[in-house]
Parts: sequence; C-alpha cells; structure tokens
Amino acid sequence: MPDAATASQVPTPPPRVRRANAARAGLVVTILLLAVVTTIALDLPSAERVLRGLRNNAVPLLRGFVQPRWEIAPLAFSSMAETFFMAVIGTTIGAILAFPLSFLAAGNLLGGTRFAIPGKTVLVAIRTFPEILLAIIFVAATGPGPTAGIMAMGIHSIGFLGKIFADVIEGIDPGPNEAIRAAGGGALQVFVWSVIPQVLPEFASNVLYRFEINLRAATVLGLVGAGGIGLPLIQRLQFRRWEEVSMLLLVIIAFVIVVDALSGRIRRRLV
Amino acid sequence: MLPEPAGTPAIPERPAGQRKVAAATLATFVALFVVSAWQTGFSVGDLATGTGDFFRFFGRMVPNWGYLPRVWGPILETLQIAYLGTLFGTALALPLLFLASANTTTDRVTLAVSRSVLTVLRSIPDLLYAALLAPILAIGPLPGVVALTLFSLAVLAKLGSETVEAADPGPMEAVRATGAGRNRVIVYAVVPQVAATMTSYVLYVFEINVRASVIIGLVGAGGIGQDLLARLNFFAYGDVSTIIVVIFVLVLAIDALSVWARSKLI
Repeated sequence: MPDAATASQVPTPPPRVRRANAARAGLVVTILLLAVVTTIALDLPSAERVLRGLRNNAVPLLRGFVQPRWEIAPLAFSSMAETFFMAVIGTTIGAILAFPLSFLAAGNLLGGTRFAIPGKTVLVAIRTFPEILLAIIFVAATGPGPTAGIMAMGIHSIGFLGKIFADVIEGIDPGPNEAIRAAGGGALQVFVWSVIPQVLPEFASNVLYRFEINLRAATVLGLVGAGGIGLPLIQRLQFRRWEEVSMLLLVIIAFVIVVDALSGRIRRRLV
Repeated sequence: MLPEPAGTPAIPERPAGQRKVAAATLATFVALFVVSAWQTGFSVGDLATGTGDFFRFFGRMVPNWGYLPRVWGPILETLQIAYLGTLFGTALALPLLFLASANTTTDRVTLAVSRSVLTVLRSIPDLLYAALLAPILAIGPLPGVVALTLFSLAVLAKLGSETVEAADPGPMEAVRATGAGRNRVIVYAVVPQVAATMTSYVLYVFEINVRASVIIGLVGAGGIGQDLLARLNFFAYGDVSTIIVVIFVLVLAIDALSVWARSKLI
C-alpha cells in the first residue's frame, strides 16, 4: 500500500484475541453448514406448488385485509370476547394456585436452597408441558368448549407464575423480616407485614404480563376445540374462506395490541 | 375486642386515597371475573371435575414403547424446523432491530413504521402463523419454518431494540467523532456492546421455538405434532403418551443446554 508509511496502522491483536476470533469464526461456519445440511434434509414442496398456493390463497387473504367482510364482524367480536373472558379466568386460576406453590419453591423462606428443590421441580414439570397439548387432553377428557381451554391455560400459568413468583420472593430485602422478628413478631407476622407488602406489586405486574401471554394463547386454543376465536378461524381456514379469515385476524390483532398497551401502562405504574 | 392498653401506639391506617384505589381495583377485578365466568359458563365445580377427569384420562395413558423407533424421524424434523426458524428469524431481525431503535435511527417515519410492523407481527402467536401458512405453503415443514421465522423475527427485533436503546452512548459518540457514518457506528460501537445479550436472546428464542415446533404439526406445519394428532385421532393413547414423554424429555434437555450456554455468556 502506498500510504502505509504515513497512515497510522491498526495494531495486530494479541494471540489470545486472535484465537477467540478464530473460534468464533469456526462457530459461525458450523452454524451455517448445519443450516445448509438441515435445509437439504428437510422435506420441502416444489417451488411450483408454493407459487400456486400463494396465488390461490395468499392473494385472497391479503385482499381481505383491504376489504374485510363486515358481515362476520359480530361473530368475530363475540368470539374474541369469549377468548378474552377465557384468558381472565385462566390467568386468575393460575395466579391463585401459583401463590402457595411459589413459597414452596423459594429457598430464602424455607431456610435453604435445597428445601426448595421439590417445589422448583414441580414447577419445571408443569412449564415443560405445552399448553395446547394440555388443551387436547382436556378436550378428550372433558369434552370441547371454553372450560377445556380455561383449565389448560390455568395449569400452564401455574408453572410460569410459580417460577416468577419464587424468583421475586428470593429477591426480597431481608431487613424488614429481621426488624419484625426483633420486635417480637413470629413467622406469621413476618409473612403478613414484610413478605407480602414487598412481593405484591411485582406479583400483580407479572400476573398482568401472563394475562397478555394468555390472551394470545387463548386465540389458538380453539384450533383444537378448546373455545375462543380459534374455532371459527380454523373452520374458515378449512373451507378456504380467506376474506373471512382476514376479518377474524384483524379483530385478533386489534384486540391484542390494545390489551398489551393498556396492560403495559398499568404495569409501569405498579413497579 | 379488648381495649388497647394506654401507651401502646396503634398501627396507623393507610391513607384514604390508597385504600380507595385498592378497593376499586379489587371490585373491578371481581366484577370482571364474575362476568367472565358467566359468559364462558365456567364454574368452580368444573375445576374439580375437570382435574379428576384429567387424571383418570392420564391414568389410562400407558406409554407403548414399541412405538419409540417411529418417533425419532419426526423429532429430528421438529428440531430442523426450530433450528431454521431461529436462524432465519435472527438473520431478518438483525437489520430490523436497528431500524426500530431510537438511538440508531433518527428518522421518525422509519422508526414509527418499523415499530408498528413489529407490533403487528408480535400480536399473532406462532401456532396461528402455522395454521395460516399450512394451507398456503402446502402441508409439511415449510409453513412451520416460515411461521417460526416470522415469530422469532418479531420477538428478537423487539428484545434487540430494547437492548440497543439501553447501550452506552459514549462509544457511539467517539466513533461518530472520527467521521464514521451510521453503519460504521452500529458495527464498531453498538454491536460489541449488545452481542452477548443478543446471543443469549437468540438461545432463548430457540428454546421457545423448540416448544412451538413440537405442536405446530397439529395444524399441518410439520414435525412430531402431525404424528401426535394422527395417533390421537386413532385413539392410540399408548403411542400418544410415548410421543408426549419424548417431547417432555427433549424440551427439558434443550432448556437445560440453553440455560447452561446462556449462563456462560453473561
């Protein structure tokens, strides 16, 4: 290079950095190679089939967004309302049942991390189970309808909320606990006057956050017959009535965005 | 109630305003719950009978281990879908997250448009994307990959733009002072600050995608869910519980692996 003598040179990195850079480059190459192998091994349809599918289905779907079918708006709104109510009950059940469980999964109140292991294990097991699988089992066991969806949502929420609640409890300030004990208070007084006031705002905020998640989840529970807007949606998908699908989607999107915004505002004021 | 002995101070009452807000919140919530229960026909009795039915049903589900060899193929496809969905979602999220961050994008219109697109994309759950795309893109793994790509893109761009907005402005100003343009500022001042957190988020989204990829087959988007639904429709509960056990172990293993990798990152 002609200007090598005048321009300041970027110094070569030390060997440790060069080795780390080489390792990182190796990782990136591995990830990309794995992606290529994975794509080739996947059973993909022909490009022609995809194009035909797009022309026959995606075009009417997009047209439906521009010109929604207002005839089914009442149905869309009433089934979205049912979805909303399902999420309210499912979240409440989850929160009420997660409350006692979370104290059994919080090491600091039980007097040692090892005492919290059984509680934590139960919560992990509940969380691992996909919600929609629970819904399928409830539909098979108790019959289709919103109750099956509510039960599935409730149980799944226990796993999520129980874990978050336990994390919140483990993060509380031990000072007030000690102060109450020093004033002669027992375990019950410590719980009522120190633990509960410290955790309640965080609990409420996380219940609202779970409600946002559950509202989204409730929109798909109907796909397996567990109530809510998913049922009219899957029926119209099966009959390829794309313009009506768009109307239902618009209602879902609008509802979810509004509830998210409201819930976000309340949560910011809580904590 | 016994009269308080003189000299013991009474516990002060909460201010009236606070009490009113608390009472109003509780009343609103109870009213909402009652309306919800009435509208959905839910009763607390259902909770008890439902749980009973659930466990009776589960008691009948004894895994049929003879089905196990037929699980591995679809499980592999499930993982392929999750891997590709995460990878493509990440690739698309990387440019978009800088467009949706106020400190890397100063143009108000671009910022508003990219944020709105992300909000809309995020309002649709992954299973719904799969249900929509399966009839469009042919039943099989392709709609699954596209569904998870869209979902990962929305989540990662949102989490990423929050991280970028929280980045230290010092290095950005320093790079800008050398005469660098926006892209150089992003590459040399923002990326090094957010790379570790972003990698951790990608692993987290991969966890979510593994969970999603086992169920998107229920709506025809490939993976083990398709076999699960087929066995369920034949009332082959032994095979169903074998699949469920495998899913359970797979999700636990991926979660543990990902949590371990994330603990190494930050």
